[in-house]
Amino acid sequence: MTGGYTGKILRVNLTTKAVSTIDTAKYEEFGGGHGIGSAVFFDLVGDQLPFQAFDPRNLIIMMTSPFSGTFMPGSGRCEVQGLGPMLYPVEWFGHSNFGGRFTAQLKFAGWDGIVVEGASDEPVWINIVNDKVKIESANGIWGMDTWDTQEEISRRVIPSLRHGEWAELADNCFTTQIPAVVCCGPAGENKSRLGCLLHGPGSQAALCGFGGVFGSKKLKAISAIGSKDVPIADPKAFMAARLWFRQFQWNVDNPREPEKFAAAGPYALISGRPSGGNVLNRELPLTPARAAACASCPRGCRMRLATGDSNESVCAGTMVISVEGSLKFTRQGNDVMQRYGLGHWQLMPLMSYVQTLYKEGILGKGKQLDTNLPLDNPGTFAYAEELMRLIALRKGIGNDLAEGCARFAEKIGRYEQDVNSGALGLAYWGTANHYDPAIEAEWGFGSLLGERDLMLHMMSNYPLHWMAWSGAPYVTAEEAAKLYTDAMEPYQGDVFMVDHSDGPTGIYSDSKVKQVAWIKHYEKFWVGAGGFCGWRWPMCITNNTADRRGPTPKAEPKFWNAVTGKNLTFADYMEIGHKIYTLDRSIWVLQGRHRNMEVFPDYIYDRPSRGHDMPMYVDGRWKYDKGVGRKMDREKVEDFKTRFYKFEGYNPDNGYPTRATLEKMNLKKVADQLKSKNKLG
Amino acid sequence: MPGEKEADKKEAADKKQLSRRDFLVAGGTAVAVEALIPAISAKAAPPSPAGTTYPASKGYLVYDSKKCAGCTTCMLSCSLVHYGVQNLSRSRIQIMQDSWGKFPDDIKMAPCRQCLVPVCVQNCPVGAAFIDTAHGNVRRIDNKKCIGCKTCIKMCPQQPHRTVWVVIDGQGQSSKCDLCLDTPYWEEKGGPGGKQACVEACPMMAIKFVAQTPNQEQTEGYDVNLRNDHWLNLGLVDNSTVTPKTSLAWPKME
Repeated sequence: MTGGYTGKILRVNLTTKAVSTIDTAKYEEFGGGHGIGSAVFFDLVGDQLPFQAFDPRNLIIMMTSPFSGTFMPGSGRCEVQGLGPMLYPVEWFGHSNFGGRFTAQLKFAGWDGIVVEGASDEPVWINIVNDKVKIESANGIWGMDTWDTQEEISRRVIPSLRHGEWAELADNCFTTQIPAVVCCGPAGENKSRLGCLLHGPGSQAALCGFGGVFGSKKLKAISAIGSKDVPIADPKAFMAARLWFRQFQWNVDNPREPEKFAAAGPYALISGRPSGGNVLNRELPLTPARAAACASCPRGCRMRLATGDSNESVCAGTMVISVEGSLKFTRQGNDVMQRYGLGHWQLMPLMSYVQTLYKEGILGKGKQLDTNLPLDNPGTFAYAEELMRLIALRKGIGNDLAEGCARFAEKIGRYEQDVNSGALGLAYWGTANHYDPAIEAEWGFGSLLGERDLMLHMMSNYPLHWMAWSGAPYVTAEEAAKLYTDAMEPYQGDVFMVDHSDGPTGIYSDSKVKQVAWIKHYEKFWVGAGGFCGWRWPMCITNNTADRRGPTPKAEPKFWNAVTGKNLTFADYMEIGHKIYTLDRSIWVLQGRHRNMEVFPDYIYDRPSRGHDMPMYVDGRWKYDKGVGRKMDREKVEDFKTRFYKFEGYNPDNGYPTRATLEKMNLKKVADQLKSKNKLG
Repeated sequence: MPGEKEADKKEAADKKQLSRRDFLVAGGTAVAVEALIPAISAKAAPPSPAGTTYPASKGYLVYDSKKCAGCTTCMLSCSLVHYGVQNLSRSRIQIMQDSWGKFPDDIKMAPCRQCLVPVCVQNCPVGAAFIDTAHGNVRRIDNKKCIGCKTCIKMCPQQPHRTVWVVIDGQGQSSKCDLCLDTPYWEEKGGPGGKQACVEACPMMAIKFVAQTPNQEQTEGYDVNLRNDHWLNLGLVDNSTVTPKTSLAWPKME
């Protein structure tokens, strides 16, 4: 192996307390991150599937990418994989990622990733300082919230640590950085399916419920810090690429068309300007703040405030709790969520559902679901804090709520009724509805054909979604279609990939099949294996260049090849993404996935869409149009799926990967495993 | 040459501007070195005698710690162009952050100050730390001469110390910012009049090269305001009484 890798993956067995290594080179063909994680998962436990997420056999896999620890723009995410207890009806092999500094420090410590297996009898945490790895007792830490946990662990790792000074990590190895800690909170300790992993004050791995898996393993936290080199195959080319990339960044001193793109509103999200991700500092008088970035991110979508609250939280991390009339308590309410370690993307629909049940007279004091929660004051800090406390500690009604939206609804006998009616706003595998699949169909299909909400905003619709909504799009619908699809190698040139009409070239077309395949392959390789941020990549279009072209697809291989020393094309890497997706799909099949399960809830088909401005090709011309009143068509969805399976090399009867497809991808052992379970496509 | 005369005048002016802090640091050096370094190679040159004067550097890095986003791109750039690898511990500029801290104290930026009285140069026992008079008087460390005694690290008056301990092939030695004079992994010309990797790579444009010697009092001379109205208009204020010119309100959602 050349640049980007350290060559070894840490393997920790919490049952036996054995610490060993896996040779990264064995998995190099999968790129890194999600790709290597899936391959390791299959090799270690693929033949034992299916089993449950809280089974000690479940793995927590946290992989870096070759970009981790480098200045590759927007590559600071950490991919977490394992069976996800949040997901429904099966705890699918899932993934969730978080930003911050963790993968960088793990790489500086000399590791390409961590695989945790088994379960400890007593609470523990894993201490990684360069090559030294210890399983430490979590005495005095178990029970702490996520913030106190990180502070206490940092103190234990470097007792002499002082902000702004050098500290000696090991013999003759120094750093000014603080340990990067990822941990579960009380929610995870109590095996809540809402339990997230938290790093820093606001970086959540919110999906899948991996905090609960930590809890089931009695694993409180993993800390990493290091002082080693990340090798770069071609340093000159890498530096040149980084400086070349500046043209696509927001120019903070002299931005392009600032009167349009610097203003708040939709462009705060998509323009690439610093700090737009925290929605809680828009009211005058403003709280003094800085833009805060994950490792190596040139945007810095977060903030750190003079008050110190809502630091580094973005988007849903600043939106779940809303305290009427108090910005201060709104920020701190969201921070309470972070401290309990509750996943925002599940807590949001759950809190909404609790109110729905209250208004329907089902939940409340003396009701069928009896609780003393002050449900008539949902806009207060007291209500939000008490509800989160009950869920995190599994107290009272919180014990059932901690099972997550889907299983809670199932337990009270309302799942079919409330999910299909939309009263409980789930859309994909127990995770919340996001963008309307009747309009932004690639989001819907990309989620349905995955294992949870897609959560990759830049992947398909984000700039388009917000650009048109702003009322002042910077390109026409026709230009948007051309720019986007020009970048979508190897399917470039098919403009109808971004047609959001329901006409013959629209959301059920062969072009849309290609777009969804492109999304899944990009998701698996560049975002998953590369550790990219879904708020930054891909960049098919941008307001920061004169011709509105983004760096995709030139940038990705330019950087990857400079770091690793490989010489592959964008399309080559996308094919690896196809391979990773196929491997993931094979694992899901081993867990019981069948095409019959890949259906939307009824309300997605039956409820007329409110519509949303997106590029549509209607009556022979492009325009931004809404599609108001549109319903998804069950028959057309099924036909779409049939063509998608064929396109990807899967059996359209059941959605299973075929032997021919798997062997072509050098996945013969996967084909053999599927065959042994009679599930080969 | 006329240029040299100008430089001499500038140097004389800089000497006059020596702060009390610089004087105290320089004046206390000998005692401190004796206490910290019990044994020095017999071949080592003695520290500079008291009263030695130093030509001012013709380049400095100033920065805006309120503008920094903490992405560490500057650190990784520094490490890359000098060593061909990426490693925060090798970086000659250090960015330290406390994620839970309160703005603006949550971030500290620490590049070398190219001190008027370069304590590292003054106290290096072997002359490895030197003033590169051929290249704008930049304070540098010759890694071929460095014996790894850490004197420069211990004597650096800044906190954290700006001389950086690096281990290469198992051999530890000191390094420091050379304003990118010696960057084997970058094609650009560095030093005064050239480019600096951290300045070029910083996405927030929070580091700037200047030729004028910054005010030497504490950190204020180096930690300067590099923000203009474009920054302010993002809503990133350092004072709650400031109101951006652009609207921060979102249009009402559908």
